[in-house]
Amino acid sequence: MASVTIDGRTYEFEGRPRLLQFCLDHGIEIPHFCYHPSMSVPANCRQCLIDVGALMRNRATGALERDEDGAPIIRYMPKLQTSCSHTLSDGQVIHTRRTSQKVAQAQRDNLEFLLINHPLDCPICDQAGMCPLQIQAYKYGPEGSRFEFKKTHKPKKVKLGPRVVLDAERCINCTRCTRFTDEISKSHQLTIIERGVKNYPMTPPGMTFDEPYSMNVIDLCPVGALTSADFRFQARIWEMSSAPSITTTNAKGSNCNYWVRDNLVLRVTPRENPAVNEFWLPDEDRMAYRRFNEDRPEGPQVRTRGAFHAASWEDACAYAARLLRGAGKRALFLASAHAPVEDNYLLIRLAAAVGGRVAGFIEHMEPGHGDGWLRTDDRAPNSEGCRRLGLAPVGAEMLREEIASGAVGALYVLDDDPVGAGLVRSEDLSDIPVILHHYHTTNETLLSADVALPSATVAETIGTYVNEDGRAQRVVPAKAVRGAHRTLMMQMGLSRADRHGTPFDRWHNESNLINCKPGWEVLPMVARAAGCDFMDRGPRKVMREVADTFEAFAGATYKVMGLGGHSLPPR
Amino acid sequence: MADFIRNPVVTLPDRNPAPHFCEQELAFTEEEKTKIARWVSQYPTPDGAVMWTLWLAQEKFGFLPPEVLRLVGEELGIPYAQVYGVATFYTQYYKQKKGVCVLDVCTCFSCQFTGGYDLLHYLEEKLGIHAGETTADGCFTLQEVECLGACGSAPMLQVSNGPFVHCVTRARADALIDALKAGRMPEFASVTLPQDEDELGGNRRTDVAFCERYATLPIAKHTR
Repeated sequence: MASVTIDGRTYEFEGRPRLLQFCLDHGIEIPHFCYHPSMSVPANCRQCLIDVGALMRNRATGALERDEDGAPIIRYMPKLQTSCSHTLSDGQVIHTRRTSQKVAQAQRDNLEFLLINHPLDCPICDQAGMCPLQIQAYKYGPEGSRFEFKKTHKPKKVKLGPRVVLDAERCINCTRCTRFTDEISKSHQLTIIERGVKNYPMTPPGMTFDEPYSMNVIDLCPVGALTSADFRFQARIWEMSSAPSITTTNAKGSNCNYWVRDNLVLRVTPRENPAVNEFWLPDEDRMAYRRFNEDRPEGPQVRTRGAFHAASWEDACAYAARLLRGAGKRALFLASAHAPVEDNYLLIRLAAAVGGRVAGFIEHMEPGHGDGWLRTDDRAPNSEGCRRLGLAPVGAEMLREEIASGAVGALYVLDDDPVGAGLVRSEDLSDIPVILHHYHTTNETLLSADVALPSATVAETIGTYVNEDGRAQRVVPAKAVRGAHRTLMMQMGLSRADRHGTPFDRWHNESNLINCKPGWEVLPMVARAAGCDFMDRGPRKVMREVADTFEAFAGATYKVMGLGGHSLPPR
Repeated sequence: MADFIRNPVVTLPDRNPAPHFCEQELAFTEEEKTKIARWVSQYPTPDGAVMWTLWLAQEKFGFLPPEVLRLVGEELGIPYAQVYGVATFYTQYYKQKKGVCVLDVCTCFSCQFTGGYDLLHYLEEKLGIHAGETTADGCFTLQEVECLGACGSAPMLQVSNGPFVHCVTRARADALIDALKAGRMPEFASVTLPQDEDELGGNRRTDVAFCERYATLPIAKHTR
């Protein structure tokens, strides 16, 4: 097998890997800015320099040439090479900055050049704290700058598009953003304009940067030049906690991180998962952060004498149970493609326990929305999970007929909005008691609901979602809800201060806590109030039961799913 | 560049400029299309021909506003953004409307030493405009440029991305302006490098009659 020597240690390799990626794969740190594993290699930041040499061999005999001491002679390339574009070949000797003073000096000098026209506005920059330029300048850069002239001033706060704002001064012209639009999203909306000290990325005149994946350039940007129009100046990185989760605006289930401060989701960033979304996230997933903060209900409510009144969870569940018992066999349950598998499974169990029937789940198809990449026609995250539980989409006519014929004594809706989805009309439900688990106060079914139970969204619950390709992925809570202690709820995504701070310097506070509960907590409460034998066992055990019961969920336990998800057998 | 060092501000270009050409004007003729197709066939990818095509478009339309760049992109089948990036990279592609004759006066090191700025300011006074501006009658645009690679015959200027005018004195500048006003472009001047003179049998530069200063080899006496 071919081998190379990097910093005196020999590594074996197959094929023709690029040196930078090879080093990153083997845990050798090489500073770099422009290189990104999924895009072409322009080698224009010049930061990943290395010294490459080869053993000298006698041309005629092929024997190694040796010096007087018998050590093999290494012939180095006359200049340092960029490791991102350097293809490994057998027998090469490579020195990174760890063993070569020349490389370390070159990288230090290069950083001095990159910082010549870079404004030192880290104290107000969104990227500060997770900025490759900042980190590498601290680790490898010079202590000061010898540039004593005025720095170039380039356009600031330029709205490239509806969601991306450019600060051209900070740009180091790595061209990651333009390569993204050219090679990955293929919208061709960005280009580097002008030349030399004046250049920066820009849209051509008359074009806005409005493609549906535009915000990916914000994550790609190794400095703070491209920022989110929404998240700009909202929070510092270290004030937020992040939790690995998935997005729920479509059926792709792209992996993401929810970033939270003071129990508000402030931004959504992609999380690498080669099996689902690689490094990318559509803008619709990122802009959905508002759904976790706005129009959230204030607690359970019960309708008495025509008006909603706040109630305790126990009272609301007891009232719901009374309505269900009153309806008996005529209780109709609607599952939800927004709710995780655990909640839908418990709904099926609850329906069986009270003698009712699950009609199916509400489908949220939007034909033409999908693009064959990370956006899908299906606008709900868990339709596949519902199908795998043996549920089918509910037909509007069928449901209306059933309601008109009086076959429905009570309607139990999990995490959805049948009125808003156009499945039934508000008038149809006027005579029927409706129990509703809802995320938002804008839910149109609320007007007809008799019991309203606020439900925890994907950012607040623990659960499993199955994407359209049959990949089961679990989520952990990103933000706290009222009644759930941050650190006691072991699954919670933690911030740096959570991990390392004392109780006195935590950044988060108790504001913006929403009085809602996950379905796997409320459904057993309702069941017990209805007098059924229903154990409250938490989502982990519920999911294990699902995996054992349903063949379509074989093996999908929390441990197996981990953070990357688990591909379920085809249905 | 000197101005830029004193005040290094890069301004944002107009992002939604009003178009200069109407739809009917924006088209290449069949002959031009054949030319472009030939250029495209010379390169592995069509974007190789972008500079040729931009040049053709500049000769046809006089300058390259966004709608012309878009036309070039469409003709070549490459993204408009890429064409825009190339066009803004090179100063020889005019993004703004210029005068009929563009005078690029070199003020880089050698020309500056031999009076490049004097020449520039003389022309500024003569034409009644500042560097970077166009005369009111639209005849002349005066620009300060960086090294054009003719330091041997400094100070010099270039006319409309075309012929160089070497060893410009005030009298020659006057003559040049008069000639350009009369519609006569200066002739292309072939230059012999001093080190090649022996080989080529003496100084054979075509404008040698005008270049008194250049009659001897440029070697200082004290070095002998």
